[in-house]
Amino acid sequence: MNYAVEMEHVSKKFGAFTAVKDLSLKIPRGAVFGLLGPNGAGKTTSIRMMLDIIIPDEGKIGILGRAMNEAMKSKIGYLPEDRGLYPKMKVGEVLEFLAEIKGVPRSAAPAALDKWLAKFELAEWKDKKVEQLSKGMQQKIQFIATVVHDPELIILDEPFGGLDPVNTKLLKDVMLELRADGKTIVFSTHRMEQVEMICDDICLINKGEAVLRGRLQDIKKEYGKNTVVLEYEGSIDFLKGNPDIEKIDDYGRAAEIRLKEKADPQEILKILAGRVRVAKFEIQEPSLNAIFIEKVGRSEQ
Amino acid sequence: MKKIWTVIKREYISHVRTKAFIISTVLGPVFMLAITVLPVIMAVSGKGEKSTLAVVDGTGVLQADFAGELAKFKMGDGSEKYTVVPVAPEADADAQKSELGRGVMSGKYSGYLYIPADALSEGTAEYASRQTSDFNQIETLSHTLSDVVVGKRLKAEGLNPDKISAYTKPVKMDTVKVSEKGRERDTGGSFIVTFVLVMVLYMTMFMYGAMILRGVLEEKTNRVVEVVLSSLRPFQLMMGKILGIALVGLTQYAIWALFGYFLTQYGGSIVGSIAPGAKASGFAMASIPPYVFVYFVVFFILGYLLYATLYAAVGSASNNEKEAQQMLFPVTMCLIVPILMMQYVMRSPNSSLSVILSMIPFFAPILMLQRISIVLPPLTQVLGSIVLMILTTVGMVWLSAKIYRVGILMYGKKPSIPEIVKWIRYK
Repeated sequence: MNYAVEMEHVSKKFGAFTAVKDLSLKIPRGAVFGLLGPNGAGKTTSIRMMLDIIIPDEGKIGILGRAMNEAMKSKIGYLPEDRGLYPKMKVGEVLEFLAEIKGVPRSAAPAALDKWLAKFELAEWKDKKVEQLSKGMQQKIQFIATVVHDPELIILDEPFGGLDPVNTKLLKDVMLELRADGKTIVFSTHRMEQVEMICDDICLINKGEAVLRGRLQDIKKEYGKNTVVLEYEGSIDFLKGNPDIEKIDDYGRAAEIRLKEKADPQEILKILAGRVRVAKFEIQEPSLNAIFIEKVGRSEQ
Repeated sequence: MKKIWTVIKREYISHVRTKAFIISTVLGPVFMLAITVLPVIMAVSGKGEKSTLAVVDGTGVLQADFAGELAKFKMGDGSEKYTVVPVAPEADADAQKSELGRGVMSGKYSGYLYIPADALSEGTAEYASRQTSDFNQIETLSHTLSDVVVGKRLKAEGLNPDKISAYTKPVKMDTVKVSEKGRERDTGGSFIVTFVLVMVLYMTMFMYGAMILRGVLEEKTNRVVEVVLSSLRPFQLMMGKILGIALVGLTQYAIWALFGYFLTQYGGSIVGSIAPGAKASGFAMASIPPYVFVYFVVFFILGYLLYATLYAAVGSASNNEKEAQQMLFPVTMCLIVPILMMQYVMRSPNSSLSVILSMIPFFAPILMLQRISIVLPPLTQVLGSIVLMILTTVGMVWLSAKIYRVGILMYGKKPSIPEIVKWIRYK
């Protein structure tokens, strides 16, 4: 039973709308787990069920090897997608309150939050009201609230939403540090490049159902090395209709080209060479983004 | 339980520190002082301004008596309020009135009184001034003139005005309240106490209910609620908020009660030192039996809890203040109906309608307390309404918790009643 989260055949309906349908998940301890899916796929509902904020209609959920109960809540840190703090309260007080309801003793709270405030360079803001802080700072405060009670399981719903590149890197580094400390991190996102950088395992859900899951490396291997990543100047419209090509995701100056099985990438390079300036031509595994679009796109039809 | 306590503490501290709380707590006593002391001061020193009155006496016989009567009105310093300037009547009444009007405009007179020649039989007098808003003064002039004219008429019939007024003197009547304590004089004191107690209860349910509603809405719209709910159950958050704000209310009342006590102990001497002329009024208060206050506390707590849970449920189900106001309508009605019925219950506290209304849990805090303070109803009725209220409150806490749990995480459109019923059924 060495799973941080174990969901078995979990379903949740809101009236006639099925938010999550027969979802089973096993999240190993110590992993960084990505819960992926388009908007409205049921990511947030799944997360809220893990946290016991809403109760599933069917199925069982185990957290850290046990059934969820009140005492377990203090072992989980949660960063919701819709973030918010009490705007009229001081930063230090909000964090103390949130730590206290997570079961941190009053005497231990100040030291823990000072450590985190220093890490995020927010120490001098401790006595300011939340509403006086910039949006970015509030996001960091919210993240501190998620981890201040030293949880074993950290659940982050769209943690990178609305963060600038500097803060995105900071958050990513902290997440990797936490993993090095043996914590389990579950996060949801629809931004694939972040997943590729830090995830060990993923589960892709669409319309409440799991459509793809497993170790990220295994999934990519399964799709094979039949993708060309191209950077170019000019127009590649002439590639459309080429019999060797399965699919093109053209971004204007770069493109991801999926080849048909047994097609030779060298043939494509030859065609390109005469007609556009090629800045980069790389044969690799498909990006998660391409897999995502394919999986989700297929089930749309 | 420890988590509820943490929530209570946060609610309490964050409300008690707001400017609104500090201002209303300070202004409450100032207001209390104002409504008790100011009227006395005004009654003593507020005699209006001095007036110079031009009097045209068409009858030729009223002038002296009228001026004599007016001379009885004094200012605070003992000088006469009215200076009467007699003006001889002229043949052309309209021309004379215009002339006097100019005198008023120029400031020579503050007003004029024109008494026509036929005033003793049927004529209409005319009072003109730049300001006709001092009803007290107009009334005084009208009464004085009438008294003088009536006196003249009686004399003309050979009657003695003094005797007539002695004959027509109204009979005085004292109101006595009979209770277990015996007979006590009551000049309206118990009515006022009942009214104040009931109003305090009503205001509490309104004000602190609104405070809970805003608090729930704030947590919902700031999206802070989800983090909190990952640490504790919705029920703990809701009850923590309700109990925390109850403590805020009790703190405010404790401060006010302390001030009120101070005011009743020393209020008389304060008034006395500000306005030496004030005498003790003839206001007598029947003593209030202590059980009224015991029941007040019981109904205060139960009424607050009952309505607080309703406000919390409404707050959780709505997305903004406007929606909340609409959904609040039935709750507000439940609060207003008993206020509308108060006068009826005051007059017939033991009629079957009064009994039934005061047993309905949503009306009981106001109407049963009112009945108790008028005359103690049978114990079965009082206990019955308390038991009914406890049961309803427990039921409402359960129901509101179910609505709150779902509503607090629902954003978007305003939920309909069938949707809310569905929420209650969710697992």
